[in-house]
Amino acid sequence: MPKNQLNPDQWVQLYADALYNYTLPRVNDTAVAEDLVQETFISAWKARDSFKGEAAEKSWLFSICKNKIIDHYRKKARDIMQPMSATGVTDNFFDEAEHWTKQDQPGEWGIDLSNTVENKEFYSVLTMCRKKLQEMQEAAFSMKYLEDMDAAEICKVLGITSSNYWVLIHRAKLQLRTCLEKNWLHIK
Amino acid sequence: MRFFMISCKKATYLVSKKEENRISWWESWQLRAHLGICSLCRKFEQQSGFIGRMAKQVTMHETLSPEKKEKIQAALTHEH
Repeated sequence: MPKNQLNPDQWVQLYADALYNYTLPRVNDTAVAEDLVQETFISAWKARDSFKGEAAEKSWLFSICKNKIIDHYRKKARDIMQPMSATGVTDNFFDEAEHWTKQDQPGEWGIDLSNTVENKEFYSVLTMCRKKLQEMQEAAFSMKYLEDMDAAEICKVLGITSSNYWVLIHRAKLQLRTCLEKNWLHIK
Repeated sequence: MRFFMISCKKATYLVSKKEENRISWWESWQLRAHLGICSLCRKFEQQSGFIGRMAKQVTMHETLSPEKKEKIQAALTHEH
């Protein structure tokens, strides 16, 4: 069986859009996604001698891209001086007795929540809402839901404890829920 | 009774842990007891699951502009 081969001259033409569409929802930033696609090709070019031909060219490039994305989260976590400052911040979700406040309590969404819906508006609102998350929350959210990584792996990348992680996810969920309820349900 | 009951803040925290099966039997018991009497947290649990499933399914069909592709191609060629 012939081994897979690399055709670097065709990489951009064949895979740039696919890699970009994979990266963009994971980093939620067009400029960052473009940079990561470019870095993927450059790293792949530098590593071309290590390509053994066992994987298809496309999956080999995607695995490099995936590593670039994880590296991006890792760098972001390192750049933040006080990653856990959010834990002490007061919020409006709960009152002093830790019950829901009137303002942020879950409302009726009026749709079947047991399924997913085909809905472009949902994703444009979700993208907007994710931009409002703190960087660590957004990184944890992306790794958990889009990369499907487990808690232990995510903690390692972000350099945090598991209880820090649960707090990040908890707060990300609360914020996204409120933001989606305010912004998506109105245009649904 | 108060001793056994958890707050909405704690219950919503446990909802995320439960989604990843990282919940102890005691926490699971506390959560079930809370959800049994709290319709707001039940709503939160459903909406939270929905957001997670939707986020996982995101697909994009964007294309990079020819200029961007040229820029990337130029950067790659520069490495040759």
